[in-house]
Amino acid sequence: MSLKITNLTGGYTGIPVIKNLNFSIEEGQALGLIGLNGAGKSTTIKHILGLLRPQAGKIELAGLSLAEQPTEFKRQVAYIPETPILYPELTLKEHLELTMLSYDLPTEAAWERARRLLKMFRLDDKLDWLPIHFSKGMKQKVMIVSAFLADAQLLVIDEPFTGLDPLAVTNLLDLIKEALSQGKMVLMTTHVLADAQQAVSQYAVLNRGTIEIIGSLSEIRQHYGLKDSDSFDRLYQMLYQEEQHE
Amino acid sequence: MNKLAHQRLNANFKQSLKYLRLVFNDFFVLALIFLFGALMYWYAQTLKSLPPKRWYYPLTLAIVLWLPTLTGRLATLLKAADKQFLLPQDRAMKGYLQIMRRYSMLLPTLLILLAAGIMWPFALLKVQLKGWNYIALVLVMLVAKYGRLRFESGQLYFGKSYTDWHLCDLAGLLLSSYYSFGIVVYAVVALFFAFAYKLPKSGFDWNRAVDLEISRKNVIYTIFSMFTDVQEKTINIRRRKYLDFLLPKTLGKEHANSFLYRRSLLRNPDYLNLFVRMTVFAWLISVLVGEGTWTLGLCALVSFLTIYQLLPLGNEFDDNLMYVVSPISKKGRGKDLIKVLNLAMNLQWLLIVLGWLVMGPLNLKLAANSFLLLVWVNLLVRLYLPLKVKDME
Repeated sequence: MSLKITNLTGGYTGIPVIKNLNFSIEEGQALGLIGLNGAGKSTTIKHILGLLRPQAGKIELAGLSLAEQPTEFKRQVAYIPETPILYPELTLKEHLELTMLSYDLPTEAAWERARRLLKMFRLDDKLDWLPIHFSKGMKQKVMIVSAFLADAQLLVIDEPFTGLDPLAVTNLLDLIKEALSQGKMVLMTTHVLADAQQAVSQYAVLNRGTIEIIGSLSEIRQHYGLKDSDSFDRLYQMLYQEEQHE
Repeated sequence: MNKLAHQRLNANFKQSLKYLRLVFNDFFVLALIFLFGALMYWYAQTLKSLPPKRWYYPLTLAIVLWLPTLTGRLATLLKAADKQFLLPQDRAMKGYLQIMRRYSMLLPTLLILLAAGIMWPFALLKVQLKGWNYIALVLVMLVAKYGRLRFESGQLYFGKSYTDWHLCDLAGLLLSSYYSFGIVVYAVVALFFAFAYKLPKSGFDWNRAVDLEISRKNVIYTIFSMFTDVQEKTINIRRRKYLDFLLPKTLGKEHANSFLYRRSLLRNPDYLNLFVRMTVFAWLISVLVGEGTWTLGLCALVSFLTIYQLLPLGNEFDDNLMYVVSPISKKGRGKDLIKVLNLAMNLQWLLIVLGWLVMGPLNLKLAANSFLLLVWVNLLVRLYLPLKVKDME
């Protein structure tokens, strides 16, 4: 089982934002997408989620094509957006029930998993709350709980550490590691490499819509000529300078 | 800040004009003219037959004159982004609010003068107030309204607790209607708030001011939305736990779409208020028209209008990102909508029939009408709805 992106080109209008992307994620593997704002990270994710239609190229997950079998494809994907998006009409409990319904999960087993997740993120006493009563961080935790409850093969996580307290960040990283050990795949965009590298070993550097390199952090350091003492902020400065030269 | 105030007033005027044009369309204006004409005719006839000087006349006058003073809350036209971008402008807010107060006086002034004009013959002939006394009372009402807007401005600052002065206005009007010295007391209080009440110079509570303005605008948008689509309207979802008995107890045979539709219908005020409004409307028709074929026909029309206006529920979640990316199939969601609306429409039928039973005795005609309405509702659900939901999938 794997996610295969082949020659993916796309964007919002006729002009492509991402150009000819090729990468794959295998079972038990996590890939971090890094790059400056506007590099094409979110656009890549939007294509994988089916929010944008590719201008060219293919997206396949476990042999399923997003274009041909959208519902079956989506059943294999769980998404945690950067900005939490909840249904204002549903309580926390109902968000979990909706996840169970839409992902066709057996209720009892799903509730068992849900209880553990709720406790982990200290939401177990807020089951009857509507989103209007949650803080931004709590909403983000609801998104995380729902995504991990879905038990999907691919987790797509957009800037996961924004707005979370350190305890929640640790719990999220633990869950990602656990999912990877179960053979799940993770695609994550982030700027917070210090946290991400606890769970993610492979990164793709996106620059102006193309992938410059895929590799471990040390391979990326080598590619850009960064010293061990250099912080990764230096990478972003170099990407910015490249952008200015063009 | 004064320039900004004028810019916002212009933008607000343009926006209001856009919606007012849609609200006051030709048909509505025509209906209003007829209604107003009928009301004034009834008023003129009633005035002729009313005996002079009764104890409750001043009370009636005070209440009728008080109603227009309830309109026109302080319009600040503040926006959420002002909390960030105008934060250092505390001191300049005094001038800004002064412009806004003047603007906020427009609607209440018009309505107070209109109500005062209509009540003029009643006040002079039946309450037996003197002409100059009545004119003075109306002027004091206008000053009091301005004073209250000034007081509302003061409450946008930290340290000022919120007090509702609407009842004080009513007290002032009552006092002035019953006793001639009352107007002096009312005038003193009104003048104090209009001119002597000191506004704070700093400590503007941006959060509170913006929240109040958003809620004020939302009331206006809600009124407009009864006639047309209003993009700017925000929806305040309510939990309404007491309606949970209408939801299935288990997930059993539930589908994701019907799960969402049921909860939206019960908690989204756009849909629930519509349902309640239409049901109350059916009751009102039944009271006014009375038992018979006309009531049945009009209630059938109400059922049709309810179902027609509830149709957008089917596409309610199409703009929700999580709905789009989740594996909720669009196939079969039309059937899910029909399932939910079937329950809603049969519930409305039950409520209408219960209303009929309360209004009159159970007889053969009422039983026949109830049965015919039930048939009509189910024809709508089984024949009309499937045609309308075809394009949803």
